[in-house]
Amino acid sequence: MKLVIGGYAQGKLAFVLEHYGADRCRVWDGVLPKEADAGMEMVVIDHFHNWVKGCMLGGGCPEAEVGEFLKNFPDCVIISDEIGNGIVPVEAFERQYREQTGRILVELAGKAEEVVRVICGIGQKIK
Amino acid sequence: MVLVIGGSGSGKSLWAEGYVASFPGQKYYLATMHIYDEETRGRIERHRRQRSGKGFFTIEQPVDIRLAADKINLYQERTESCRHGKGVALLECIGSLAANEMFGGQEPAAEEAVVEKIVSGIASLKEELKNLVIVSNNVFEDGKVYDDTTMAYIRAMGWINERLAAMADQVVEVVAGIPVILKEEPGGNVPCTF
Repeated sequence: MKLVIGGYAQGKLAFVLEHYGADRCRVWDGVLPKEADAGMEMVVIDHFHNWVKGCMLGGGCPEAEVGEFLKNFPDCVIISDEIGNGIVPVEAFERQYREQTGRILVELAGKAEEVVRVICGIGQKIK
Repeated sequence: MVLVIGGSGSGKSLWAEGYVASFPGQKYYLATMHIYDEETRGRIERHRRQRSGKGFFTIEQPVDIRLAADKINLYQERTESCRHGKGVALLECIGSLAANEMFGGQEPAAEEAVVEKIVSGIASLKEELKNLVIVSNNVFEDGKVYDDTTMAYIRAMGWINERLAAMADQVVEVVAGIPVILKEEPGGNVPCTF
């Protein structure tokens, strides 16, 4: 698994498609596919943070679901916004969302064979 | 051309000013901030004090950044500083330039138009200079979903940064006053550091 993180509107998806090959990738926007749904292409999860948010709102356990997903797709690419570099929000859910997303990203970064941070369209390999 | 990016209070301006001041030749400071109120006045004053004595000639250019080139040429003719070759300019900053372009009229301007105007303006401006150092702002990492107009502004900033980074020979992120090199490819355009 490869993890690509960076701020909003930094060119993360464009970086992934260029760097890992657009014709080899199938992009899933804020969705984690089931094993049967995916084809032969490499699974790219775009807006992973949106999926985490949706999962939390639906009362699910994102950590467990991501763990299950990774068993099926060990060679995927996960793209997430960096959402933790602002003022801690007043709303409890928004705080929880940032905290939990951050923890999940730390866990994913630990498991990933490669972590890239994208800023101004430039990819920096940080692991 | 050098793009310098950082958060608010990261020390990006001070670093960029020191960097530009180290170049020989005439130095220009392209100021983009409008004076709206006491806060902006104070901010501008702090920046003026910070760069006084560093040899900058200040040009106020809150919109139409392309026009700064004419003012530079006029100044060079008047002072005959062109005898020493082209000058070096510090443009500060993309955040206020983009805000002025987008929100200066009755209605907010379309994000594509703002991006195109600023990027093409800077592309022609840089031809008049030996080096152009541009300060931009990292406003992308707080995870907040703002109203549509603000999101359009943030997207425009993202596009401008990306395109300027591709044009630049060097991209530097300033973190707590420390320059972290994101790109260093003289004349090249390699969107990746590995």
